[in-house]
Amino acid sequence: MNVLIIEDEEALAHELEIFLNTNNYVTDVCHNGASASEKIATSLYDFILIDLGLPDYEGLDLLKEAKKNNPDAACIILTARAEINDRIRGLDLGADDYLPKPFSLLELQSRMQAIMRRKFGLKQNIVELGDFLINLTDRTITCQDAVVNTITKKEFDLIAYLILNKNRTLSRTQLSEHIWGSVINDDYDSNYIDAHIKNIRKKLNVYSAPDWLETVRGLGYKVKMNT
Amino acid sequence: MKLKTKLTLFNAISKLVIVVLFVLLVPLLIKRISRNYVDNNLIKQQKKFLQIVKDQGIKNYIPDGETYGSYYLPLKEEYLTIETDTVPGHNIDTIKNERRLVERDTIDYRILSHTFEIGNHKYLLEIGKSVATLDETSAPLQNIAFVVLIGMILLTILADSFYTNRVLNPLGLIIKTKLIGQKFPNFGPYKEVRTSTSDFQYLDISIHKMIETIEAAFQKEREFISNASHELMTPISILQSKIENMFGQEDVADELKVRLLEMLKILNRLKSITKTLLLISQIENEQFLKEDQISINQLLQEVYDEISVRLAEKNLTFDILVPENVTLVNVNRFLLFNLFFNLVNNAIKYNKEDGEIAITTELESGNLVVNITDTGVGISPEDMPLIFNRFKKVRQSMQQDSFGLGLPIVKSIAAFHDIKIEVDSVKNVGSNFRLIFPLQLVKK
Repeated sequence: MNVLIIEDEEALAHELEIFLNTNNYVTDVCHNGASASEKIATSLYDFILIDLGLPDYEGLDLLKEAKKNNPDAACIILTARAEINDRIRGLDLGADDYLPKPFSLLELQSRMQAIMRRKFGLKQNIVELGDFLINLTDRTITCQDAVVNTITKKEFDLIAYLILNKNRTLSRTQLSEHIWGSVINDDYDSNYIDAHIKNIRKKLNVYSAPDWLETVRGLGYKVKMNT
Repeated sequence: MKLKTKLTLFNAISKLVIVVLFVLLVPLLIKRISRNYVDNNLIKQQKKFLQIVKDQGIKNYIPDGETYGSYYLPLKEEYLTIETDTVPGHNIDTIKNERRLVERDTIDYRILSHTFEIGNHKYLLEIGKSVATLDETSAPLQNIAFVVLIGMILLTILADSFYTNRVLNPLGLIIKTKLIGQKFPNFGPYKEVRTSTSDFQYLDISIHKMIETIEAAFQKEREFISNASHELMTPISILQSKIENMFGQEDVADELKVRLLEMLKILNRLKSITKTLLLISQIENEQFLKEDQISINQLLQEVYDEISVRLAEKNLTFDILVPENVTLVNVNRFLLFNLFFNLVNNAIKYNKEDGEIAITTELESGNLVVNITDTGVGISPEDMPLIFNRFKKVRQSMQQDSFGLGLPIVKSIAAFHDIKIEVDSVKNVGSNFRLIFPLQLVKK
């Protein structure tokens, strides 16, 4: 997967690059609009990450250029200008998603995978974990033909996010940012994640022991999966 | 009271006072004027008479041998008498009102009495004019004066009110277009109010200048927030990415990871505060649309889905007693979700184990009221005025992980939608937050 990172903040661009490279993406980085415009015109990408706040270029113009020269690329807008209008304009112009800064790298990856699923394959995304079959497309869990229907929406979100980042320890902060990120409230307490995990384990245990859902002492949780 | 009303009222009252004064004074004045006129007339007649007597002798008036001569107009409205005055040293020269009996009629006269001597004889002259005739002439005069006065007063009242209306019109316009109906801080473009009154011109331009200053300040604040958000969000973003990348690295020891997590947690706190402040300022700058239609029941259900784990932690009962057909219109879904989320979150946070939270609706004088009642620790009266202030952690003793922006968010969102909030609370019994939705937000 080829990704073009257009981000004038070099330190951030660098971190994005490291993260995407370790996750097997091939990356190109541009720190200004002019070079990005050139790259868009000459190379083909699967993903284009556009920072709207470029010093030399109107980010939304880059989006238009990308739609013209790279029609198959999925565009994700990254911006610190968390204004609703930008969001609407960005999506109107054909951006596939919009990620307000500051965002978690894991969140970025999860959005990219969601787009990929949407764009490149309608095949069922089913994951086998122990005795469980987890269908990420239909959002269902089955255990040896029995449907697990006690899992709530939030709980499924948590499981899906852990599966997406399989074999990687996710902290409570990262998990709560994913499932409560859109809610603006004045808690920075992420201990509710523990309660969620406890509930998930209790509910799954009725069918089979979910050993794959591991607690990493002091750090967080992870889903262990053989690849 | 409006200036125009005051002026009109003063106008009417002053005119009324003038009329009353006039009504009281005119008869007196007219009486006085006509008496002066009559007196002058009498004196003229007396002079003429004396001249005639001097020229032609007294015989014309008193035939020889007689001591008395009298002459009346046919209707006795005037008369003249002359008689020999036998009282020595008795000199009269007066004009006064007296009553005379003339051929069985008693008539009031204005009488001039004058003694004079011709030769050795002394005579007393009396010239009288009947008072009745005097009144007869003054009455129509008075009436005419009244009619003219009333006419003139009506005319001035009309003219005055017309003129005050005209002259005060720009003021009304300034108040209507510049002050009422302007929603802070979004003032429209400057439209000059046409007036030739310099005071109003000054007022208009001053208001305009003040609006400009306010708008400039707001513009600056908006720019500041936009810049601050960019400037703060970007470094936070870089830090977060760096920490996340380090955390994901295989070769980092676990104890280091724990510390990275702590950093991430603190960074998250910084992020939450910045995001929340940004949200509040964006609401206050009206950067949200109000175009959604939502069922309160459904919205609360969504809040419940988000928050159920927190309810379960404390084993709280959560009752949504809201009819399903209660629908809000012209609201922002995202904001209202956050409003209810924060109120319910607070109700959980400050509740006791096994407590209760109930959400009910009622109609109160046409408005929709949503009550969020908890069985929590309550708010003491002295803390009550502070709970909506930013960064005021009133219930600090609870040692909650929060930064005191929950209720300020609620307040901003409510103000943005014209929703009124009332809070009742009894310490250690519970709190009740009442949201009063204006009519235009409730679907009929």
